[in-house]
Amino acid sequence: MRSASELKIGEKAIISDIDNSNPSARRILEVGFTPGEEIELLFKPVFGDPLGFSIRGTLIAVRSSEAKCILI
Amino acid sequence: MLTETDNKIPLITLLGHPNSGKTTLFNYLSGKKYKTVNYPGSTVEYSISRVLSRFEFNANILDSPGIISLIPCSPDEKLSVNYVYNHPKHGKTDLAVVTLDASQLSRQLLLVKQLIECNFKVIIALTMLDILNKKGLDISAEKLSELTGCDVVKIDGRDGDGIDELLKIIKENINKINENNVKHSLKNYDSAKIIQLYSDIEKIEKEVLFSIEPLTGENELIHIENVNKKLTVLNNYKNNGHRKIDKNTISIDRFVLHKFWGLIIFIAVMSLTFTSIFWLAAPLMDLVDTFFGNLSEIASNVLGNNLLSDLVSNGLIAGLGSVLVFVPQIVILFLILGLLEDSGYLARGAMLLDKPLAKIGLNGRSFVPMLSGFACAIPAIMATRTIQNRRERFLTIFIIPLMSCSARLPVYALLLAFLIPQDKPFIAGLALTAIYIFSILSSLIIAGVVNKFTKRIKSINDNSSFIIELPTYKKPKIDTVLKNTFKNANQYVKKAGPVILVLSLILWFLTTFPQQNQEDLSVNKISSTELVLNATSPFALINSDTIKNQNSGEENSDSESETEYDLSKSYAGMIGKIIEPVMIPLGLDWRVGVSLIVTFSAREVFVSSMALIFKVTEDEDEGKFQEGILNSMREAKNEATGQQLFTTATIAGLIVFFVFAMQCLSTVAISKKETGGWKIPILQVVVFTGLAYVMAFITVHGLKLIGIS
Repeated sequence: MRSASELKIGEKAIISDIDNSNPSARRILEVGFTPGEEIELLFKPVFGDPLGFSIRGTLIAVRSSEAKCILI
Repeated sequence: MLTETDNKIPLITLLGHPNSGKTTLFNYLSGKKYKTVNYPGSTVEYSISRVLSRFEFNANILDSPGIISLIPCSPDEKLSVNYVYNHPKHGKTDLAVVTLDASQLSRQLLLVKQLIECNFKVIIALTMLDILNKKGLDISAEKLSELTGCDVVKIDGRDGDGIDELLKIIKENINKINENNVKHSLKNYDSAKIIQLYSDIEKIEKEVLFSIEPLTGENELIHIENVNKKLTVLNNYKNNGHRKIDKNTISIDRFVLHKFWGLIIFIAVMSLTFTSIFWLAAPLMDLVDTFFGNLSEIASNVLGNNLLSDLVSNGLIAGLGSVLVFVPQIVILFLILGLLEDSGYLARGAMLLDKPLAKIGLNGRSFVPMLSGFACAIPAIMATRTIQNRRERFLTIFIIPLMSCSARLPVYALLLAFLIPQDKPFIAGLALTAIYIFSILSSLIIAGVVNKFTKRIKSINDNSSFIIELPTYKKPKIDTVLKNTFKNANQYVKKAGPVILVLSLILWFLTTFPQQNQEDLSVNKISSTELVLNATSPFALINSDTIKNQNSGEENSDSESETEYDLSKSYAGMIGKIIEPVMIPLGLDWRVGVSLIVTFSAREVFVSSMALIFKVTEDEDEGKFQEGILNSMREAKNEATGQQLFTTATIAGLIVFFVFAMQCLSTVAISKKETGGWKIPILQVVVFTGLAYVMAFITVHGLKLIGIS
């Protein structure tokens, strides 16, 4: 199964699940990354990390280690 | 639990996401007459006010910092959330008014849901309806009220539309408050619960949002014809407008978060920030400086030639001046930080730097505190509370004193003026930049090394995290930024002021006593009255007339050696002699030692103490203060070796010393408070000062080895 950290810039995906074993899972959910939502990887600045996702009409930066718990 | 606060007047707490229009609403309700208070011992602040009397009901209204969830993630959030449950001063929240950005409905409803689950009485104030309309959507307040069970009011922050209705509803609810002890707690709050809350929210969202025709010019007519269309329920709502991000923000971010341009923009923004701190502040600092110079002159003229006059003009006014001379820099730095934050850039800066900072054990969130460290370490250390991870937070606190704070600036300015010919200000500017870059690099290397050594202590619970919302770009609200800037400047004066003032008085005492005979005192006075003061400005362009007037009429016959002899008999001199052995390896003598000792309470005192100690006697034809102090520095001989005291090597050594040394009592105090123990502040003092000494030694002798004395 792929995770959001593997998306390419401009690629969209639907969240299938959140991996609860990641300690950041709760905050990830709270900011709106819930199963069924569409996300798009929009930005990957200079150092390639964190990643800028569009979710629920807003932009959220998430470290790729944390984006790993967003399964698509 | 019944406390005395239960008999209080009702408390309305305003809650909501950051940037959801909370403060605008607060201003309406309080009539802008409120006080802003910090939660005890923190930078988290809240504003409290009585609801305006013309609204005809009695209640306190509290504006707390923006939160996205009732489950806190950082020390900052924890405080804010705890005080929603029970405020130490105003008791528990009777009525929660939540501002809800209608264009961000699904994410922001989570907080509403949590508050309802927690048994709070909630009123929803819908904001940002214009943005929602721009997305081609509208929202039904009635439906939202029906589905959430809360009263819902649409308000418009720009013209105050809807505020009256909101007040009517608040009033009704206030009257219904019963004193029953409601238990506020979130039960079984786990991932499944959040997912469930969100699925409820989505159902709500689907029912309350309606699509309207896009309001482009051409379609205006069609729009009017098809008013009924407004009521078309949003069917395929997930693919619709409300899930789109603001177009301007995306286009700006295509550059700001671009792999290459993002870095260029970041460097440009930072360079601009720092150049304006130095160059915009310079004329203002001269102004403050001249003002206090004149004040000191007036005081000494009025009070005559006695000890009291000396105390007032040299001790008191000079001390005050040395505090206030930094205010322009602090104001400019906070102004720029405020503008950057309000426009939305700081969050991007933090994102850009997260990866490199994470490599050395810091966090993207360390960026803003580190940046503030260039003004003053005290607010900077307090600003680390936004960092969730304890280890990252402590490491950030650890290295903040290495950021070149504004108190070092006058020191560098004086020392560089000694090294670099006055007619080449450009080179001095470059050298200053080099010092700044050197200090940043050193701090990063030190963070990296400390991180390596402490990695093993890392516990599993120490989850390092970086999840932040990148807000929509907005024109900064100038009045809010100005207000914050003023507040920060005020805080600086209040916090740093007394310390520096007391220190200047102590320094005055130590250099003036034990009392010598009257003649000596008058000599002492000539040299120090103006100088102590002027020494506080790095760009001191001192009014030569003042000094000349003072000097004329008094005998200038005393030679430099005689005045130095006087000083060595003072308390300051005695202390200096004790630490002389430490200074000799650096090629310096006891006189610099005294100056360095006083800097441990506040760095900027270095310049004034150098002026006092080296007894700058003004040359008639040279008006500038700095010339005077530089000349006496050039003439000074090392009392131990008889060689010239200040050389390129020893001055470079001093600069390096100042880059590293932890010479600030207030920083030690705040570091102890914020880390909850003495371990980190003591480490900072020992490690940084030790490092400063070693690095200065290496610099002095390294330069001598390659032939630069």
